[in-house]
Amino acid sequence: MKPDLSLQIGPLALRNPVGVASGTFGYGSEYAGLMDIDALGAIYTKAVTPEPRPGNAVPRIVETPSGMLNSIGLANPGLDAFIAGKLPELSARGCAVIVNVAGSSEDDYAKVIEGIEAAAGPAGKGVDGYEINVSCPNVAHGGLSFGTDPAQVERLTSRLRGLTRRALIVKLTPNMADIGEIAKAAEAGGADAVSCINTLVGMVIDVKKKRPALARGTGGLSGPAVRPVGVACTYRASRAVSIPVIGLGGIMCAEDAIQYLLAGARAIQVGTANFVSPRAPLEVLAGIGAWMEAEGVARIEDIPALLRC
Amino acid sequence: MTQFDARVTSNETVAPRWRRLELEWPAEQAPLPGQFLTLRPGRASDPLLRRPFAFASRDGSGGGALAISILYEERGLGTALIAGLGPGDKVDALGPLGRGFPGPLEGELPVLLAGGVGLGPVLFLAAELDRMARTASPAAEFLPPLFLAGFRTKAAIPSIAFPDGARICTDDGSAGFGGTPLDWVSHNVPEGTRAGAGVPAGPRVYACGPAPMLAAAARLARGRGWEASLSAEAWMACGVGACMGCALPRSGAAGYLRACHDGPVFGRDEIDWEAIR
Repeated sequence: MKPDLSLQIGPLALRNPVGVASGTFGYGSEYAGLMDIDALGAIYTKAVTPEPRPGNAVPRIVETPSGMLNSIGLANPGLDAFIAGKLPELSARGCAVIVNVAGSSEDDYAKVIEGIEAAAGPAGKGVDGYEINVSCPNVAHGGLSFGTDPAQVERLTSRLRGLTRRALIVKLTPNMADIGEIAKAAEAGGADAVSCINTLVGMVIDVKKKRPALARGTGGLSGPAVRPVGVACTYRASRAVSIPVIGLGGIMCAEDAIQYLLAGARAIQVGTANFVSPRAPLEVLAGIGAWMEAEGVARIEDIPALLRC
Repeated sequence: MTQFDARVTSNETVAPRWRRLELEWPAEQAPLPGQFLTLRPGRASDPLLRRPFAFASRDGSGGGALAISILYEERGLGTALIAGLGPGDKVDALGPLGRGFPGPLEGELPVLLAGGVGLGPVLFLAAELDRMARTASPAAEFLPPLFLAGFRTKAAIPSIAFPDGARICTDDGSAGFGGTPLDWVSHNVPEGTRAGAGVPAGPRVYACGPAPMLAAAARLARGRGWEASLSAEAWMACGVGACMGCALPRSGAAGYLRACHDGPVFGRDEIDWEAIR
């Protein structure tokens, strides 16, 4: 029997569990000639902020053992240009479109969601949900990340929950002691799901030049190097909350994705692997289906119970 | 653009640490001079990212697959793995990518400048200019280009076929002109050479090489009132415009342009060339 790959994230029905992670897939059109984007479960767009952001000084990326560091700086054209230039094409996609939202204040996040709600019309059309990047520094709170303080996460989530009936996903940072606490805060604030993990803070120093390889000094580590951290965070978060957990971090192939599903994820995102091979997400999707069929697993949500521990 | 497993037809050493890799390439994805491809070095997760290389040639074979080549230098783990490929091996290739060199205008004097391993795309452009000149209508006026290729020293000059009339420059004077390609132009092309003055549409610099060379080429072109099309190099993750990792600072405006998608060939005044030195 063919397994059923569909799943539900709050109000959002996804036809399959494979998404492409924010920041690794642009707004979709960049990869249009290389793969069938409509076959994905979801696109998580590059972050959208209220104002255009040029991004950080260069160099912005450096390769690391089985990974890469980036400090792109949320480079994006801003809310108005996103609505005018990117939204029409995204809305026509056959897969779900989740807009990743970032900001430096609570008002920033609210502005983006209000703007898109006004432009996209009632839920069920165009945009399917929002993924809230709470790893951004909160300027009003001394630049500390929203995402490391449960009280801030709950307050922000609760405010944004009041602005939309679309799926609301909070993307968690692994750069803290207990990701379960933050996941609970997002759930208490009304999130439909949490995604984890965002990148880990890392640094590479060029010994010859005696300076950091990235202009900003530190960056976010991604790729296979962070996968065990992501799987562990998914395992913890999924035991802390009853809302779905979307797992990501270093997924290169179906087996990696199945680790996340066994750890407790309802869906997954392929990120850095898109840079390595644009074929990766659909190969992962095909591999999950084949594995479920071989294992006799009927539905995605049946997978976590298979974990023996 | 397309991603496919390309068949290697040769991968030969052409100078110390320099190789020329030739691949079979689909005819419907014919690259243009200045465009590039990315190769995945191996299938393991380390090294992780694809490596970008400019096309150095494109040869048709009468309806079937094309033969394309790249020139590359063994610099690290990724290029060492690519150096290990032999005839018949397959390598995960993606391309053609980016914006190449603009076609020359009639009556323009192309000044082709290649520095080090930046030679590849300039060779490809020279071959294309030659093809255009041979196939253009008799009334069209395509001037033969100046071609200058610079190397550190005689031993670093690759054993490949240079175009007729190519001038070799070496930093240490051990072969050809002693100095850089830009030194040669400064010394040998009169200051006043510009549109209307002996060259109907004026000279245009086409260059690829290290960042300081591109900055110097932009300065020279600006000083002399010449156009310039300069091919930049940058670390990149995706190669298709999605990751924003290969940003280069714009000139005269805030913000950045992407080497992979907006370039790698940029106009003289598009990029702050001094800032990427």
